[in-house]
Amino acid sequence: MSMLSPEQLAQGVQDLPSLPAVVMELLGSIEQENIDISVLAKKVSYDQALTAKTLRLANSSSFGLQVKVATIQQAITFLGFQTTRNLITAAAITGCFPDGLCPGFNDKGFWRHSIATAACARSLARRLRFNQDVAFTAGLLHDIGRLVLVTGHAQAYTEVLAWRASHDSDWVEAERAVLGVDHVEAGVALARHWNFSDTIRQAIAHHHAPELAGAGFLAAIVHVANAVVHALDLAGEEDELVPPLSSVAWDAMGLNEEAYLDLFRETEQQLEEMSAILMA
Amino acid sequence: MNRAYQLISLANARPGMVLGEVLRDDKGNVLLAQGAVLSDSMLASLARHGVGMLPILADRAEPVPAIDPVRVQERLDRVFRKQERDNHGDWATGILRRYVEDFRLQREVLS
Repeated sequence: MSMLSPEQLAQGVQDLPSLPAVVMELLGSIEQENIDISVLAKKVSYDQALTAKTLRLANSSSFGLQVKVATIQQAITFLGFQTTRNLITAAAITGCFPDGLCPGFNDKGFWRHSIATAACARSLARRLRFNQDVAFTAGLLHDIGRLVLVTGHAQAYTEVLAWRASHDSDWVEAERAVLGVDHVEAGVALARHWNFSDTIRQAIAHHHAPELAGAGFLAAIVHVANAVVHALDLAGEEDELVPPLSSVAWDAMGLNEEAYLDLFRETEQQLEEMSAILMA
Repeated sequence: MNRAYQLISLANARPGMVLGEVLRDDKGNVLLAQGAVLSDSMLASLARHGVGMLPILADRAEPVPAIDPVRVQERLDRVFRKQERDNHGDWATGILRRYVEDFRLQREVLS
């Protein structure tokens, strides 16, 4: 067993690759309305790779634009600031973790699951008249703690993979047994370090326990989206496992079967398109 | 979406094919969105609208093969292996399972 101390977990977070400064600024301001858009648009456009990826995402059919946007400023004009800000952070975060650090860890499967959960959470939010952009980002980041553990403690995480395979357990259980911490704690530590908004941090913290008092509606949305994506078997993991679904969170969605079948279709379509862009 | 698509006549279009471009009628009204997966009822409706050619995604021009219900069910049982069908305490997972089975096995759902 390779138990991680809180200090080792914190060190792993400190050692992570840093995000572009402008993305840090965007993440910290996710619920602020009064920030200077034109300055941010300019700062983002200095990063050509980030700009190109953001614009491809903005022009994908998931966002239903009738015209093709060619600049960040145009994306903001047509999609709004909130949506564009989320596309920029999605483009930045999916490119910032190195692949292949931990033998046996399926990086591609991880991102397919995260992107599908983002798309599914966004679709759920639309049906529930909740903020779609916040839901998208929370869905994308809900399991980010796993990358913290994989990136910072690759050797120890191979033991987690082995433990999970032999016990056929869920991830939280395997991580706790081997490391003494789980990806939820690691995700919350990263959310602090990267200055995610309180809402996003709460959703990461409670996506496995949405029925706890104070967990918030966003945690319920991410919890259901996560279960739906596992159930749709979209990540390409042979040992895919649907986690227990909280009946409190399920009830809170209040949707009928027809709505769920539409949600399944939408999630599958958007995953293929978005993963082609974000995982390029 | 900038993926290549090919024009296919309505007569040759099959359910499961995916539209590579938004489809409009001659007045410019949107009939189907880009990315729409064609179904029998959509094809019938397009015929009524007088649509002749469809822009089909090149890598999806072959119709999706018919599903094998036994294999689909086996895979679903594997993915839901921790859920016991008669565990009423876990009813939400049970409902999700039924919905996903309806979806994957393409069962008719009465709404």
